[in-house]
Amino acid sequence: MKALIHGIGWVASSGFGRGGDHSGFSLGHGALPRLRGRVIFAEPLKRFERLDDFSRLGFSGIALALRDAGLDQWRAKRNIGTIASTRYGCLTTDLAYFDTVIQDGGVFARPNLFAYTLSSCFLGEAAICFGLIGASFVINEYDSKRMGAIRYALDSLDWEECETIIAGFCDLPAPEQALEAEPVAPGTVFLVMGNGSDPSHPTRDIEVTMAADGAIIIGTMPVADWPELVQVYLAMRDSIISENMS
Amino acid sequence: MAGDSAIRPVTRFAVSRLNRGMAACMEGLELEGGGSLLGPLLDRLLTGFGPAPAESLLIMATTKGAIDNLERVTRGISIGPKDLQFGELILGVARRLGLADGGININAACVSSTMALARGAALIAHGRAETVVVCCFDMMSEFVFSGFSALQGISRGACRPFDRNRDGLTLGEGGAALLLVSEGRLRREGRSSLGTILGWGAANDATHITAPARDGSGLVQAVKQAMKTAGVDGGAFAAINAHGTGTVYNDLMELTAFRTLFGDHSIPIHTVKGAIGHTLGAAGGIETAVGLRSLAEGVIPPTVGFCNPEQGAEGLVSATPTVITGEALLTTNSGFGGVNAALVLGKGKTG
Repeated sequence: MKALIHGIGWVASSGFGRGGDHSGFSLGHGALPRLRGRVIFAEPLKRFERLDDFSRLGFSGIALALRDAGLDQWRAKRNIGTIASTRYGCLTTDLAYFDTVIQDGGVFARPNLFAYTLSSCFLGEAAICFGLIGASFVINEYDSKRMGAIRYALDSLDWEECETIIAGFCDLPAPEQALEAEPVAPGTVFLVMGNGSDPSHPTRDIEVTMAADGAIIIGTMPVADWPELVQVYLAMRDSIISENMS
Repeated sequence: MAGDSAIRPVTRFAVSRLNRGMAACMEGLELEGGGSLLGPLLDRLLTGFGPAPAESLLIMATTKGAIDNLERVTRGISIGPKDLQFGELILGVARRLGLADGGININAACVSSTMALARGAALIAHGRAETVVVCCFDMMSEFVFSGFSALQGISRGACRPFDRNRDGLTLGEGGAALLLVSEGRLRREGRSSLGTILGWGAANDATHITAPARDGSGLVQAVKQAMKTAGVDGGAFAAINAHGTGTVYNDLMELTAFRTLFGDHSIPIHTVKGAIGHTLGAAGGIETAVGLRSLAEGVIPPTVGFCNPEQGAEGLVSATPTVITGEALLTTNSGFGGVNAALVLGKGKTG
């Protein structure tokens, strides 16, 4: 199965960025940057500031990826799907919400927080903001690499369920109550993938393939995890830019 | 078929400070020696299921998993970090079923299991697997009950789907485990099937986070995709197993969507949520199992709680069992985040 990567966006300990505008990428265990709507989005989005941290993180990754792919502006809704892998999901939001329940028998439970105790809701926020009417869902896996969303996305494209798809992962730092011996690095990375080529934007035509054994290959380079995927992809993108300039 | 209801006053946790108090809990579900109530729920679901072929892929579908673990830790009771994660849950179910595949969980609000079945069917249809186990479940919890209560989404009494006096949903709990098998494998092994997933579709409304699009556009798109995959038109449907939660907006949206899709074509509509409540991530799986049985028996169960029809439901929804004729049944679900999913079910095949 293969497709073309039209764009990439991320928020990590190294900062946030997208393929065409960044100062490097590193997925570490440091603090995530503060996210402000006026920086992430081309136009201000009031709703963004009221979201919980998990939703704001994933929503930002998707917004940056769509902007990189030149797909953040729209008039008619589009058959674009979204799939996200996550290790901890909306656990931080869950804990914050249930704190409001155990006081006084649930009388002060916060409904606006409860609405975001489904880890797929940030995909809904992105769908509303960007007019995305393809299927949207979150994947939890036992494996901590969080690559399942890419595999499921490539299947969807191959089966012509949608014309373009956004796939990635999203995780806040593990809450203290769920802190494991080797927690996954917090952050979010999303790819925009599709089958349509755009010769006027060669950096939007880098190939991603899924081998029969599920291995992910960027161009001709197999990648084992997200840090490797992003580094290989950005290097290929830089190479294309250099070639076009010479 | 008798029109019984499992909806009772909630006794599992205190609801006296909330202004709602009914739910459909599994009777006799108890903990022995601590842990999550999900343990006994899975015991009931999976005892007697199988054996599934060891090479089967596993697709799980639960929205909140062992959510009572989170309730305990918030109250200061110490639990292991992995007890709050889906990864361990998936592995536990895979081991319990003797599957080599680590499995995944699909989390898509109330369409989780419909989506899981769609994905499983697609994997088989495209030759990526011969057998897929779809295992879906969700429990009735204080976490979710308090949330829907705060949203004023829970009915004052038992829910009344498609009734003009409906005022909200009733929560339930449960699960379903389904083994999907390719036709080729069934033939080779000389086995019969309980039913067939002929088509599938999923789409997002892209309109509102907690309310459905009033024009039902997302559901319409999902159903159209399912019909296209199945190669059927509206005339093929014996009945529709609707999401039918009993909320004002969901039921109205579904009636609108079905009218858009099928016009004046009268297809009987029913929902099981008036009898067993809204089982969240498990809804699609349970309703698919009910739908397959309905198709095989040629009768759909009554819509418990339905009495005075909402405009548009007259002659379509019934409080008594309805005889149906036809080769296919449509089952649909919708949920928070604007999600919608649909399956076209067909009759079983004899091996």
